[in-house]
Amino acid sequence: MAGRVGIAVAVPRVGPPPVERFSLPNGLSVVLAPIPKSPTVSVWVWYRVGSKNEWPGVTGASHWVEHMLFQGSPRYGKGEIDRAIVEVGGTLNAFTDTDFTAYFSTVPREHLSIPLDIESDRMTRATIAPSEVERERTVIRSEREGNENWPEFRVDEQIYALAYQRHPYRWDPLGYPDDILALTPADLAGYYHRFYGTRNATLVVSGGFDPANVAPEVRRRFSRLPLSGEDPTVRVVEPPQRGARSATLSGPGTTPFLDAAWRAPSVSDPLAPAAILLDVVLGGETRLFAPGSAWSRSPEHPSSRLYRRLVDPGLAVQAGSSWRPRVHPGLFSVHAQAARGVALETLEAAVLDEVDRLARDGPTAAELREARTKIVAGAALAYEGASKRGFRLGYFAMFGPPGSESDLLRRVLAVSPRSVRTAAAAILTPDQRTVVRYEPTGATPAA
Amino acid sequence: MNDPFWVEGTALDSGLEVFRQAAPPSARSFSASLVAPAGWAYDPTGSEGLAIVTSLVQTAAAGRRDRVELARFLDRHGATITRRVSSETSSVTVWGPSWSFDPLLELLADLVFRPRFDMSDLARVRRQVFERQLRESSQPESRAERELLAMNFPPGHPYRATGLGTRRSVSGLRRSDLARFHRDHFSAEGSMLVVTARPSLADLRRVASAGFAEFARRSPPPTPDVPALRSTGPKERRIPMEGRAQVEILIGGASLPRSDERYPEAFLANEVLGGSLLSRLFQRVRERAGLAYHASSDFDALRWGGHWQARAGTGPERVREAARLVADEVRKIRERPIPSTELRRIRESTIGELPLSIETAQGAHSLAVDVAYHHLGPTFLRAWPATLRAVTPRRIRAVASESMNVAASATVLAGPIPLRD
Repeated sequence: MAGRVGIAVAVPRVGPPPVERFSLPNGLSVVLAPIPKSPTVSVWVWYRVGSKNEWPGVTGASHWVEHMLFQGSPRYGKGEIDRAIVEVGGTLNAFTDTDFTAYFSTVPREHLSIPLDIESDRMTRATIAPSEVERERTVIRSEREGNENWPEFRVDEQIYALAYQRHPYRWDPLGYPDDILALTPADLAGYYHRFYGTRNATLVVSGGFDPANVAPEVRRRFSRLPLSGEDPTVRVVEPPQRGARSATLSGPGTTPFLDAAWRAPSVSDPLAPAAILLDVVLGGETRLFAPGSAWSRSPEHPSSRLYRRLVDPGLAVQAGSSWRPRVHPGLFSVHAQAARGVALETLEAAVLDEVDRLARDGPTAAELREARTKIVAGAALAYEGASKRGFRLGYFAMFGPPGSESDLLRRVLAVSPRSVRTAAAAILTPDQRTVVRYEPTGATPAA
Repeated sequence: MNDPFWVEGTALDSGLEVFRQAAPPSARSFSASLVAPAGWAYDPTGSEGLAIVTSLVQTAAAGRRDRVELARFLDRHGATITRRVSSETSSVTVWGPSWSFDPLLELLADLVFRPRFDMSDLARVRRQVFERQLRESSQPESRAERELLAMNFPPGHPYRATGLGTRRSVSGLRRSDLARFHRDHFSAEGSMLVVTARPSLADLRRVASAGFAEFARRSPPPTPDVPALRSTGPKERRIPMEGRAQVEILIGGASLPRSDERYPEAFLANEVLGGSLLSRLFQRVRERAGLAYHASSDFDALRWGGHWQARAGTGPERVREAARLVADEVRKIRERPIPSTELRRIRESTIGELPLSIETAQGAHSLAVDVAYHHLGPTFLRAWPATLRAVTPRRIRAVASESMNVAASATVLAGPIPLRD
């Protein structure tokens, strides 16, 4: 191109932004991340409570409690939390995962006091009224049914059910259908009062504010809460997997697909940096250090091994991999969807062969260089905007002490090719493998 | 001008329009889109799917980069490209760090002018589009959407199709078809370059004049025929889909184009009906009745017309009641004036959202593309709050009674339900 803007823009540092951190005497961790010119502020509360803290009979409780925290307290009647935020142009939501539950509101910066007031209230004072629990039951069922419409959800649920026999990662955070029908208001209230509280929470405020003003407001609003929240550490240890497991599901769908998963290191495991690099080499990206959302995945990574082995030659229409940070050992998974006319067995053989090759030979030096370049470039924009910054700061707080993100990034950039090869051989072994296949049934719908 | 709510434009000698929006002050990234009149409404009969396939192949490899090199280039810069094809337009958007502005804008020019249209990419994209066609038919949500459009718009109407074509039509596409479609539709006149970044409009003009100089000065393709819509009374279609857990309920119909002066009224009618957590559908169907996880409405106002739809998803045993409530709320919007307190709440919420939309360069950019495409003028976003505050309940009702007519709309239920009650 002949014309260039040629405006010098300094390449900023990569990694988390500077923040102010402090803890209150009641155990609440606070992270303040000002963005001087931001027109918005984002308030996040992260609880180290998720479906890992449930047990059979109360599966789905974390997620249901998340819903109930929008349904009122003595201070905010039903619907008033939504109204308070949305009326000033804000947005709010929450989500539940295996290891945590997070609530957020993003509002124009002059309205910061509203979400701070809401979060300080519902941390310990949600009503969980029986009538509202009953009404919400069908909403929760509907949420699960909406997910069940997708074969991908069914396969994902099945793979965790197979790969875990004892650990609570065995069930999806939405919970089992039977438990959704049976949970009582008392179950939910008991769960809430047991785990929710200052000791298990991290408050993150990011965006356009002055910490000199906001820190005192945070102390004033949250210091009056009692020290509460039972230790959510899970002591159940999943026994070692000794042999491959598999299942085949069938139902409506398009073309056959499969998920293959291997037991994988937790986020604090020394092998975690290697798992991240393997994810990038095999599937093309890592959720942790990507310029876009930490949740969404771009389906097309033509430079990745799986894409070149499966999509390019026409075996699959899409293929990727995933290692998600977890408090406890999780799964490294690979997914692929067959192109029309390709048999599931053919696809599976190609997937496993490609994974075996990586386990046997490890990535090349060039692949590791590319993966690291990608990770650094992706991390550079990972903190843009108050909402994304609040998300990332809270997300990493669920997995380690302050500085753990920088530490992890440093280790990803420093891990030797030999260590990555060793990790690949240790993780991607056949006896640690679980495969779930999906065979569409019935007549192929007319296009 | 450093105000992201100011979207200024200029036209180059070639006819290409260039629009510039300042990146939000705290943004480290920029976005740039090339929008061309190349949507699926321009697909020739028998070649349905051409616009989508062209876009996917065009953005797979360009200039000296094949698809692997292109992917590596994006990775090195921490950038992404997004393509979006609608009935009216095809756009390519580059998003990346502001310190990579020059090389990424060069990449955008490559994608626009020098697509390789490699045969291997065409073969791969075909396979992927076949799968998307199957998914559209077999997922209740997309199946319901497809049926709703087909019920509301007559054959030949540009909004009737979803652009994916059929297996047969996509199988028949050749590389030369893609190259021809690209040549005919990516011309300077009728296209626009929209940039959300720090550089000034003068700088952008200079860059675009040089980098996009290859644009042929050619008339844009003629607007497709838009057949008149005829009201045929309410219609309902049930699509039994065994093995699914949830039924998708969709009610919708044709509506106003974006250029209609009553757009603000129709926009607010939709906001009240199902545009937010405070809306009637969310409050009544989910929060009060507990019948569904999602209940909302959309309003798409385009150049040649528009359409609206209200939706909810629920289990088969609750579908009758949920569908009744959705239809009931649509009817009320038409038949009764919105109480002024409710209107004020929804309106001020919408106005208050504006700062949130400029949190990131990407968020701001989507506003700029809308302003540019519909030629709303540089002051549109600044004036939007006053425009909305001038809307009265009486005017909303008047517009809704015409543009949200349940009696002339279609209803689709898709999922685990019988063909008849």
